Amino acid sequence: MNIGTQTAMTTPFSSKGAEPIDPIFRQIRDLVYKVCGIFQLEEKLYLMADACGRRMKQLAVRTPREYWDLLTVHTNREAELRQLLNEVTIGETCLFRSPPQLDALRKVILPELVQDKSKQVVKRLRIWSAGCSTGEESYTLAMNMMEESDRLLKGWTVEILATDLNDRSVETAKAGIYGDYALRATTDYFKRKYFSPIDEKKLQIRPEVKKLITFSRLNLQDDSRMLFMKGMDLIFCCNVLIYFDGPSKAKVIDHYYSNLNFGGYFFLGTSESLFKLNDKFHLVHFPGTIAYWKPSLKSGKL
Amino acid sequence: MTPTSLAATIRERVARIETMPSIPAVFVPLLELLNLPPERVKLDDVVKLVSYDNTIAAQCLRMAGSPLFGLAKSPETIRAAMITLGLRRVETILLTCCLSNAFPAKAGGLDPVVFWRHSLGCAMVCRKFSEKLAAADSDKAYMAGLLHDIGILVNCIAFPNELSVAMAHATTEQIPIDEAEHATMGFSHCETGRELAEKWHLADDMVQVIAHHHAPERSRAAQPLVALVHLSDLLCRMRGMGYGYYERRRVDWVSNPAWEILLKEHRELDGVDLVRFTFELDEAIGEVFALVSSIFGGSAARN
Repeated sequence: MNIGTQTAMTTPFSSKGAEPIDPIFRQIRDLVYKVCGIFQLEEKLYLMADACGRRMKQLAVRTPREYWDLLTVHTNREAELRQLLNEVTIGETCLFRSPPQLDALRKVILPELVQDKSKQVVKRLRIWSAGCSTGEESYTLAMNMMEESDRLLKGWTVEILATDLNDRSVETAKAGIYGDYALRATTDYFKRKYFSPIDEKKLQIRPEVKKLITFSRLNLQDDSRMLFMKGMDLIFCCNVLIYFDGPSKAKVIDHYYSNLNFGGYFFLGTSESLFKLNDKFHLVHFPGTIAYWKPSLKSGKL
Repeated sequence: MTPTSLAATIRERVARIETMPSIPAVFVPLLELLNLPPERVKLDDVVKLVSYDNTIAAQCLRMAGSPLFGLAKSPETIRAAMITLGLRRVETILLTCCLSNAFPAKAGGLDPVVFWRHSLGCAMVCRKFSEKLAAADSDKAYMAGLLHDIGILVNCIAFPNELSVAMAHATTEQIPIDEAEHATMGFSHCETGRELAEKWHLADDMVQVIAHHHAPERSRAAQPLVALVHLSDLLCRMRGMGYGYYERRRVDWVSNPAWEILLKEHRELDGVDLVRFTFELDEAIGEVFALVSSIFGGSAARN
């Protein structure tokens, strides 16, 4: 065993692999998890350090220690934490972002939902992409559902509801035009089957995929509208709630619980956690991914 | 095969394992030392035992330098390792070394690297999990995790063809190994593991773990430990340290009988942030993979 590489695993290095990371960034990572519920892995800690570095530069703060004070004792600390979150999650979104989530969906959840609902007259699945941003997740879900349309979902109707607070995001989402960066995890198979080329650099989602999705503007904190989002089988809400304070987050999650059908699932982003925010959902693991389950009536575990 | 003749076949084939050349000579005496209460084990006894086998001693020192065992670099001697890490910790490392040598190169359709990633991974998860619970013995938990699937090793040696069929069945059907073993062989690694554990006179709680880690509610003693191993095993399988194939399943923690067993003994389990724990484990996987590849060579890359 090479001792050198072993040490490298305990001491995180910056992206350039040169300097060890200031331990304060680990403290910042823990603070961000505690307040926002999003966790940066040790191996990705340099991303956190880079994000802090960009904020420090903008604010002309010289040392990580000073920046820590800005996040913890300063009167504007909450606003700064949100700014930092923006930096941390920047450029994260793309199509096919979480393969384990899609595997769980197609291999475990769909067969179960289809069986549970097989006795119903109307064979319909409702999926909600809450905080859909520019549509990457919504289209990924739509394409995966279409892949099952001749098999598991034969004779089923799939409705995908995609909402976001930001009008401009919703418009971009509706257009469904993506470049290399957003398509970096999309295989040629999906590109050929569900996209049309626009120019050399960009592809557009085909109309038959768009047909599955209804895009609209929605504020997750608008209680009266949240009450109407009924009968969902699946809710996806990735990297959205991290921007909410504790009580608002708990309220949105309570809404999600009532929006879901019994036996439905709620997915957060891959590094997010609901810890202590809701005790009605059951935490469930699938290979490589985590979700929250609203127990079905027949399971007798409500 | 009738149940009695099946039991006889298992017993007879497991009896032959003792003579396997691949199991280091220090292994069984080491197990005897491990069964003693720590205050009755003398540091010198362990040093002497290890000095019989240079390969084991060298491997043990290398392993002690892994971040998994908490040292920044390898200690120079076994004695030094024991002074810095403590007797119990060094014993668990020695046991890890001995066991990792006991595996046939490739038998029963199972890659030793995959087996050791799972066993060592589970040992690590058991230790970290028990560290979250008050008054839990984390070295014992480590050992339980390391040994829980020893029956798979037994099947590899004593029933290679049968295990090969079971593994193929598990992979195609995407089901747990014990279910595939029952479906194709009529018994599982739990029964063969138990046979070997009893033959080796392992402590009763280890026997319970080996025999019941797939159904902790059936164990007649040490239920919280068996439950802890059960949950850690599941966590490993859900986070890329399983047997190298996709297991089509959902793990619902609070509805799991093992969760209730563990909660009864450790109320503080309620306050454990299982999601954050999962993320922390993801970080430790790299260390497990690096350690296993240092033993077997090959790439440390995740599959």
